[in-house]
Amino acid sequence: MIRYILPVAIGLSAAPAMAETFKWAETTDPQTMDPHAVNSAPVLGFLNNVYEGLVRRGKDMAIEPALATAWEPIGEGEGWRFTLRQGVTFHDGAAFDADDVIFSYTRASDESSDTRSWFAPVSEVIKVDAYTVDIMTSAPNPIFPDSIANWMIMDSGWAEANATTLPDKENGNYATLNTNGTGAFRVTDRQPGLTTVLEPFDGWWDEATHNITRAELTPIQNPATAVAALLSGDVDLINPVPIQDTARLAANDAVKVIQGIEARVIMLGFPHEADSLKYSAETTDANPFADVRVRKAVAQAVNVPAILQTIMRGNAEAASQLVSPAMRGFSTGLAERPAYDVDAAKALLAEAGYETGFSFGLKCPNDRYLNDEAVCQAITGMLAQVGITAVLDAMPVQNYWPELREDNYDMYLLGWSPGTFDAEHPIRFLAATPNEEKKLGSWNFGGYSNARVDELLPLIQSEIDDAKRQAMLDEVTQVLQGEVAYVPLYVQPLVWGAQANVDLTQRPDNFFILRWVTVN
Amino acid sequence: MLAYIIQRIGQSALVLLIVGLVAFSMFRFVGDPIDNMLGQERTQEDIDRLRGQLGLDQPFVMQYVKFLGGAVQGNFGVSYRQGRPVSEILLERAPATLELAAVSGFLAISIGIGLGVFTAIRRNGITANVIMSASLIGVSLPTFLIGILLIYLFSVELGWLPSFGRGETVKIGNWSTGFLTETGLKALILPSITLGLYQMTLIMRLVRSEMLEVLRQDYIRFARARGLRERAVNFRHALKNTLVPVITVTGLQLGSIIAFAIITETVFQWPGVGLLFINAIQFVDIPVMAAYLMLISVMFVGINLIVDLLYFAIDPRLRVDRTGGH
Repeated sequence: MIRYILPVAIGLSAAPAMAETFKWAETTDPQTMDPHAVNSAPVLGFLNNVYEGLVRRGKDMAIEPALATAWEPIGEGEGWRFTLRQGVTFHDGAAFDADDVIFSYTRASDESSDTRSWFAPVSEVIKVDAYTVDIMTSAPNPIFPDSIANWMIMDSGWAEANATTLPDKENGNYATLNTNGTGAFRVTDRQPGLTTVLEPFDGWWDEATHNITRAELTPIQNPATAVAALLSGDVDLINPVPIQDTARLAANDAVKVIQGIEARVIMLGFPHEADSLKYSAETTDANPFADVRVRKAVAQAVNVPAILQTIMRGNAEAASQLVSPAMRGFSTGLAERPAYDVDAAKALLAEAGYETGFSFGLKCPNDRYLNDEAVCQAITGMLAQVGITAVLDAMPVQNYWPELREDNYDMYLLGWSPGTFDAEHPIRFLAATPNEEKKLGSWNFGGYSNARVDELLPLIQSEIDDAKRQAMLDEVTQVLQGEVAYVPLYVQPLVWGAQANVDLTQRPDNFFILRWVTVN
Repeated sequence: MLAYIIQRIGQSALVLLIVGLVAFSMFRFVGDPIDNMLGQERTQEDIDRLRGQLGLDQPFVMQYVKFLGGAVQGNFGVSYRQGRPVSEILLERAPATLELAAVSGFLAISIGIGLGVFTAIRRNGITANVIMSASLIGVSLPTFLIGILLIYLFSVELGWLPSFGRGETVKIGNWSTGFLTETGLKALILPSITLGLYQMTLIMRLVRSEMLEVLRQDYIRFARARGLRERAVNFRHALKNTLVPVITVTGLQLGSIIAFAIITETVFQWPGVGLLFINAIQFVDIPVMAAYLMLISVMFVGINLIVDLLYFAIDPRLRVDRTGGH
């Protein structure tokens, strides 16, 4: 029976290759088509096929020219001058020039826009001529071009004509459902939550290397359905593949599994500021995690290789710092994570006065990261080995963030993907002392604070010299590792499944770039 | 009769109001929509501002009153996730669910009654016993599993039917129908079997036991003694008298076909209101959740009302009791 069925399955999967439409399925539908309304990976990833920025990221994540052909720092770091590409048109035929850049800056940096934080360092945007724009920064900003790769340019005339000069997150407007970018594909049909159809844009300025004539995105929430859809040939690509199905799909000749490492580092966080544990049965008047020895013991008690092997089925890599090695500014000299050592962990706990252990509450999401709850369960078991008892409380992510904001945890699991692909990003959000006014440490739930880190952050942000900047980043990493501010565990894997005849490039930010797809 | 109807409608309205209140009191336990609406780089200031704009900083009773105020005017608010009016989204999604429910309901009733009568008449036959045993599967296996099994058999292994979605649809006015295209009809097969299987077996077992009960009655014996044909006895006399409890249960079950299409729709990525509701829960899209729950309760209350009135029409004893002045 099986022998008979297999050729049929292969024959079926070959059919879509000849068909014109490339179909792919993701878990989440992009909630809006407005490139400035929501700063989330599903939205920006999808819209990268439709809109373009001044710069774009290549297959290796390095930035390359897009709507700007060149850029250079102005003076001693007062800003950046971008030379714009000539002869570019939007999907509706309108020409692209400096006015669209100025307009898109105003739109994307407005209070109603979710991308506003990208422009926090910008003091002014000046139109020099129709194809030259100066973006002035309040302090020297070496990574500014890197940080705006997802800032997408919208046509000012189109936006004005359709009353969508500002994004409207609450009520939506024309740009929520309609697009007009300069990208390789234009949206020809948009049915939120059902399907979104893309067709190649004939007037695209760059040379198209794909062979797609029509593409269709369907969200499929249920992982088992997505796998079945791939196996039956109903879709050409699914993202993600459930970890437990990777081996099965890899063994099937009709499909292939494409694995990579995402930019997201999964880590454990601590209540640095708390006076006492919240969920402990006996330790109600002290906070053991305020003691660096206890945090170090946790780092040594967690057997990361075992987690990777069993729960991640060999698909992930251990992490030593808040960013993965693929990110700019990674400290190569500090790539060693604390060794798994039960005895050392026990000794550290004894030294800190907890030789009899203690109990505490571990908070964990159950639908945010790959197999997040299973990882937390494993950690609970590993910590029990050194005598500390974690009471695990796993919950859906929409309940999780409010709990962390209310400080309702004794330890928590967090994943961080740096939007700028630079090591400065997690320092700003996770390691800097929380400061509402300066917009620092907004995800530093535990209130970790180190004067040297706070002192170095603005210097890192404005240092033009790469070597000096790296030295400062290394110093911060050293401080964070030494104090075990967080316990980085692993870099989350990316697992996509595709028909065997599909060639594509997987980018660490989990963006699916349609123009890199060829169907053989 | 009129007083009875008015009384029932009054009760129904009260039920609806209470359902809404309970729903709103629970929404804050579903989670916080703010984190989904704002990106990674949001600040506390952004969070507070958006919460104020959406009215989430108010007590749930106030949110409920605001919702009711809009709802009575047909305005269910704007979806947090899609940024479009909820009523527009619901109207767009309703045809998918209603078509699926109609096909499932039709399958459940026709096959259920047919098999029920068959197994009752031939209660000692081998076929009837096989059917009865097989129906246990329909009653006991969860919908989710049945759906996945059907997908693996008919889509992945055999490749006959699509694994997800609705196929191509044709728009007739505002109604998108899958009945008019080949892919649309093919796409209906697996989900409607999955959705209707439980109801089908339930109706079958119910019809069977009622039939067995009725067949034992004296008037059936007299009918047979009178020399009526077997077919006339079974269908005209016996089946008709089994229908009162069957109508009650079927009515309520039709409601659950629509309401619990959620699971089938999730398994088959069927773009109906059930899937919309699941997505709304994941996103904490309160306006969509509220509108869906209210619509479903309106439907259930309505079905109950209709079933009550049908009793009146079918069972003369109820009418006698009422007019008898209790």
